[in-house]
Amino acid sequence: MMQWLALYFPDLPLDVFWSGEESAPVAVIRRQKGWDIIDRCNASARQQGVRPGMALNAALALYPGLLLHERDDKRERQRLETIASWAWNYSSRISFDPLLLLLEVGGSAKLFGGIDVLLEKLRNDPRAPAAVEYHALAPSPGAAALLARLRPGTRVRRTENLQGVLRDISLAHLTRNRKLLTLMQGIGLSTIGEALELPRPELARRVGQEAVLLLDRLLGRMPDPRPLWQPPEHFQQSLLLLAEIDQAQVLQFPARRLLNSLSDFLHGRDAVTQQLHWRFLHREAPPSQLEQGMLRPDKRAEHFLELLRQHLERLQLPEAVVEMELRVDDWQAADKIHEDLFVPQQHEDQGFLERLRARLGEEAVHGLRSVSDHRPEKGWGFREALPASGDAAGPEEPLKGEGNDPLWLLPRPRRLPQRNGRPWHEGCLQLSAFSRRVETGWWDGEDVTRDYYRARNPAGQELWVYRDRRSGQWFLQGVFE
Amino acid sequence: MLSIMVRLVFSEMGAEVTKNLDELLQQGLLWRGRNGPLPTARAVLPSGFERLDESIGGGWPRGALVEILSQGPGLSLLLPVLAKLSRKSRWLAWVDAPWLPYVPALTARGLDVSRILLIRGRDANQGLWAAEQALRSGNCAAVMLWPRSVSNAQARRLQLAAEEGDCLGVLFRSRKALGQSSTAALRLEVQPSGGKLEVQVHKRPAGWGGRRLLL
Repeated sequence: MMQWLALYFPDLPLDVFWSGEESAPVAVIRRQKGWDIIDRCNASARQQGVRPGMALNAALALYPGLLLHERDDKRERQRLETIASWAWNYSSRISFDPLLLLLEVGGSAKLFGGIDVLLEKLRNDPRAPAAVEYHALAPSPGAAALLARLRPGTRVRRTENLQGVLRDISLAHLTRNRKLLTLMQGIGLSTIGEALELPRPELARRVGQEAVLLLDRLLGRMPDPRPLWQPPEHFQQSLLLLAEIDQAQVLQFPARRLLNSLSDFLHGRDAVTQQLHWRFLHREAPPSQLEQGMLRPDKRAEHFLELLRQHLERLQLPEAVVEMELRVDDWQAADKIHEDLFVPQQHEDQGFLERLRARLGEEAVHGLRSVSDHRPEKGWGFREALPASGDAAGPEEPLKGEGNDPLWLLPRPRRLPQRNGRPWHEGCLQLSAFSRRVETGWWDGEDVTRDYYRARNPAGQELWVYRDRRSGQWFLQGVFE
Repeated sequence: MLSIMVRLVFSEMGAEVTKNLDELLQQGLLWRGRNGPLPTARAVLPSGFERLDESIGGGWPRGALVEILSQGPGLSLLLPVLAKLSRKSRWLAWVDAPWLPYVPALTARGLDVSRILLIRGRDANQGLWAAEQALRSGNCAAVMLWPRSVSNAQARRLQLAAEEGDCLGVLFRSRKALGQSSTAALRLEVQPSGGKLEVQVHKRPAGWGGRRLLL
């Protein structure tokens, strides 16, 4: 039998905005008969005396600093999708109603060992993106939605019990069709119970077939087909900042919310990602972009956040941020085996290297490797510092230097001036020992023929220099200890 | 003995004697040679130089900060221990090194260069930050830093990070830093001397410095 669980989020219109770390007084407004009316407000606005239903002017008179925004259907829907991504863990049949999610749990309840267990789990789920305070269970989606809004906590298991539970509810909640409502009120009906007492043909004749269909669906006598939600392929979410942010570091606080959503998205799919695209929108300047790439795919919000913090330290904002957006195009199935066999050391390693890279930049952190080449400047190479992969490609047979080679190498040989036919570097160089002759490189067109010497300058510094035998020029290439 | 220390500290700093001993100890301006009973077994890493080990309490202190003061050389003192550490799984981090380590020369001295992590900060603070992260992370067996500048407070942070990450931290500083007090566990001054290295121990764990040796 179908069992619909309705989850109602009355504060959702407020939750779609970011209003600063310590919630400032915030209200959302709606237009009503040409007036701006406070639709909802948060606790700090209430403390200032602001109440839902108040005219905007009155609210502003009470608290001029009130942060305001019109209700935003698109963002409310987006927020519901986030919650749906999480609810996907409990049912794959999800439908939307304004500020409300409908989950068909009759099927999935068996997996959890009963509806009560499922509900218990769901309500205490620490991953829940929003508190599940208002909920109701009923055999029809319409009844579940109605009860979650008006009588939260109600659970009706059998269709035949619905009538009794819904009896006292006003017909105004059955439909938004004003004409139909007026018709029913015109014949003296005000509650669902009163409408149900009339014989069906009589009701149909007096107010039309639509009312009968609505009641039949509500009571589960007729199917009430609803479009089922399909989880999106990509993750994209934005957050409007009611309190603008002009310091990059502060963006981490609203970012946390987007990252939690992303984490839910990934958990719901048992997926991981390694590339996050951030966009920060400004009033005038073109959006700032931030690419957050990671060495390994992950799905943990804390991990994403920690790396983001490092990125933010380097982010330059042309002006304050008014809206931020997180997008993930590519994700992959989490590799179970990989996850389970993860060596803790490597896991740590990854976070450590990523922190360094995120803060200092990709080019600031390197590993080293040997390259078989007798030209010192080619006898080594950078490699990606990624320990887990090890040297999968196989290290090149290291070319062992000679015991009297210098420990330090200049990034590239530096040409030295000559005075009186002798090389000069912070003074005239004394050649103290011949090191070796290098003749190689004929195969790649960069052939060299050089004589290397150990040399000392007047300051006592021991240097590694060579003379190019073709040009006769001197170069500094290394430094001894 | 303590009164001598105080005079030393202040002659170094050229400041008036207005602070009491406890204050100095707390701020790390004053260091006590022996503080209570000697720890029985300190974790050390043999340096590979027998005579150096004798002078510094058995070897390089593990989970502590070492200061090497020199005008350039100093790395060669660490090569044996780095070679040994490179055979384990942890990184050897080189932060803001003055030049590139020459791979063939290190390989010739038994160092597995695949464990080397070269880190370069854009400024002094980034280098210090990276070194602290590396020391604390537990992912590095040794972290060497050639700081562009470092204050006492910053050195103190590095010392704590080295303890936390059980890591050998090495701070290469100019010999000018001799005038500054230090919170490092071990402090050596190194200079070339006729093809050898002259090492002077200025401070060591559980003992007094002052020894001078040629390696």
